[in-house]
Amino acid sequence: MVGLSLGEQNFIKGGIAQDLRTDGRKRISYRPIFVETGVIPQASGSARVKLGGTDVIASVKAELGRPAPSHPDQGKVSINVDCSPIAEPTFEGRGGEELSTELSSALQRCLLGGKSGAGAGIDLSSLSIVQGKHCWDLYIEGLVVSSDGNLLDALGAAIKAALANTAIPKAQVAASALPDDEPEIDVSDEEFLQFDTTSVPVIITLTKVGRHYIVDATTEEESQMSSAISISINRQGRICGLTKRGGAGLDPSIILDMISVAKHVSEQLINKLDSEIAAAEACDDEDDEMDS
Amino acid sequence: MAGKSSSTPATYAPSVSGQKKRRPLIQADSDWVRPDGRSFHQCRPAFLRTGAVNSASGSAYAEFGNTKVIVSVFGPRESKKAMMYSDTGRLNCNVTYTTFATPLRGQPPETKDLSSMLHKALEGAIILKSFPKTTVDVFALVLESGGSDLPVITTCASLALADAGIMLYDMVASVSVSCLGKNLLIDPVSEEESYQDGSLVITCMPSRNEVTQMTVTGEWSTPKIHEAMQLCLDACSKLGKIMRSCLKDAASVPQD
Amino acid sequence: MAATGGPNDLSSEMELDAFRRLFPLRFHERHLTESIRPDGRPLGKARETTLALGAVASAHGSALAKIGCTTMLAAIKMEVMTPTVETPDEGGIAIDFHMPPICSPLVRPGRPAELAPVISKQLSDTILSSGMIDLKELCLVSGKAAWMAYLDIYCLDADGALFDAALLSAVAAFSHLQIPVVSLNDDGRVVLVSEDNTVAMKEKEPVNKERIKLTLNNIPFSLTCVLHKNYILADPTSEEESIMETFLTVVLDSSFQLVSLNKPGGPGLAHTSAIQDCIKLTRQRVKELQKILNEAISDMEVD
Repeated sequence: MVGLSLGEQNFIKGGIAQDLRTDGRKRISYRPIFVETGVIPQASGSARVKLGGTDVIASVKAELGRPAPSHPDQGKVSINVDCSPIAEPTFEGRGGEELSTELSSALQRCLLGGKSGAGAGIDLSSLSIVQGKHCWDLYIEGLVVSSDGNLLDALGAAIKAALANTAIPKAQVAASALPDDEPEIDVSDEEFLQFDTTSVPVIITLTKVGRHYIVDATTEEESQMSSAISISINRQGRICGLTKRGGAGLDPSIILDMISVAKHVSEQLINKLDSEIAAAEACDDEDDEMDS
Repeated sequence: MAGKSSSTPATYAPSVSGQKKRRPLIQADSDWVRPDGRSFHQCRPAFLRTGAVNSASGSAYAEFGNTKVIVSVFGPRESKKAMMYSDTGRLNCNVTYTTFATPLRGQPPETKDLSSMLHKALEGAIILKSFPKTTVDVFALVLESGGSDLPVITTCASLALADAGIMLYDMVASVSVSCLGKNLLIDPVSEEESYQDGSLVITCMPSRNEVTQMTVTGEWSTPKIHEAMQLCLDACSKLGKIMRSCLKDAASVPQD
Repeated sequence: MAATGGPNDLSSEMELDAFRRLFPLRFHERHLTESIRPDGRPLGKARETTLALGAVASAHGSALAKIGCTTMLAAIKMEVMTPTVETPDEGGIAIDFHMPPICSPLVRPGRPAELAPVISKQLSDTILSSGMIDLKELCLVSGKAAWMAYLDIYCLDADGALFDAALLSAVAAFSHLQIPVVSLNDDGRVVLVSEDNTVAMKEKEPVNKERIKLTLNNIPFSLTCVLHKNYILADPTSEEESIMETFLTVVLDSSFQLVSLNKPGGPGLAHTSAIQDCIKLTRQRVKELQKILNEAISDMEVD
């Protein structure tokens, strides 16, 4: 919770109305994004994203599992977010629980697509090893280390970066004598498959303050919002998920307007993020080479 | 797997023999045939009634095809002791399923998520300032799940709130649309939901033309979102009229 | 306590509703002396009772029972189990009674009602001991497969006499129960025989073609009475239950044999004559309930 005086509140609102926010940004500009990959060596892939004062870590862990009976030719992905009490005193105890579930379900909605698997940012069929028998289960964990607004966008970016960093071991099926036998899986520890992240969407949250909406709101700005819409958009400019937050109602035409603004912003964000991820990966590889 | 003498609760529901999975192939150019014979843009017949539970402050029963829901509203009553002082009222929502609601016994969907979605859909419509320091409890029980559960729960909850005399800016109506191949299906049933490529749920206040909650899953192009939103909004305003007439009917019948 | 003090003079000036809330016991006792109850019923009369069969399409058997405002929804789902070694040719019945938060202002999520497990136990004791259902009828293949009937009863509106309504909905759900026709497949697993592929499955005979309905003998019916001083109030509302706290529940079967008699403590002690009066009331009530059940069944058959 941010306790703001009436003057401060008016200052924030007035600034947004005049397209000059308290930190000097325009309404639709992001804070500088800083991406670091491979921060957790034990995980299959990991990344840390800093967006101003917001700092999040995402890790991906791949484990062998059994596919669900309803989708025998696909792997499974679970997304879980934890809000650390380090980030904010209100997250202590069970305080962060509600926010954690809200963020997890919003991320699931934005990244995993429809029930049939269409439009998923993560290609679930690429996780299949033996149809109906073995697949990869991806456990994606998000951790909020420090919170200064716009957690969902930061987590979305961190998951995208962590997936780009993810290397799944090559799994080979050992030939068995009988077709009914449980196939044995050889997990290679030398050959790894890189994950294709070109279709992973980015999430853009537009926060409505007064009559205008802004991207990448800080906690102070979020405290003044009437409602917010998080839209996940992929490289093709298609919408992969949408969640509304905040109590106040919105006119449908405003929502459509917000979608088109988000689309415009997404192009810049995807390019920016991709170059940051590539740079971080290159940096990470260099470190590896230095180590060896 | 579980049929042989294995773990303790070794019961299973017998499945239909012969065919293992019935998974229709949805070609990009072929049309989906709705299991209940509706046209794509036709909602299921809705039955709404207020005053289903006598011991609650307000309640409503909603039946959309096989989806049957009861919502009770209690309060405004004293907030929990642990809650801090608040000069606006609180809204507490809870959704539960009966064990026989789903085709397979005891496998209800994630209700925690549904409860928070219901909370978000309703809070924008309630004048929380009108009952400071107190809590309004909205409890929903899904008697039978037949698809589009959340929209039906939301609609029913809004009626129950009105029945309880809680001050509202407007009624809240909710409708969902499923995307199957190239078809947009309004008010999908369970079977359609399990095959859907994407879904769009809109909760809105029809007379104020404001959207209180909107979720989209799956991949959508902008024109398709336009089309689906318009479809939902039109259905919401129709549903809003049905809800109004239901409340009017209840008010015109003399209470004994 | 205050009720014994000076409300005598107050009561004439006070509004009815306020008097009812402030001095509930006096309010009710004054009615009792006139042999009438606040809802206009005579002391020994139960509330209007309705029964609707087949309320839940996704269950194999279901019923909705209403006694006054108390509403119960019971549904049965059949699943297959392997019978125990001791009773290889018997199936099983699992009964669960739920009070979801919607039914009463006293129940909140995360804090389940204390009453629910009590009634749940009482129901399963009554149904299993009454001999209404022969568990052998639930057998499919001796020692291999038998039915497990999951009976779940949900209280949708709690307004007193919960056990009576729950038992009525439970027996009605059993009389509506339609057991699916099944056969054994090659793996020894029980599978449904659907109408469209019976031709293809000709070689596998359905194992329970003749047994899709259970024979119900000795159906139990119950009546709960409140004992207060010398008065006996049949079928109490939740208001009456909260004020006068001595109950007696009598369960008789359709041939008027006593199945169970339950007086769970309470401040009042019951004379044996009072118990006999309760049993007499229950006998009348059983006749009523039997008629209601038969009507509901014949209504169903007409449909």
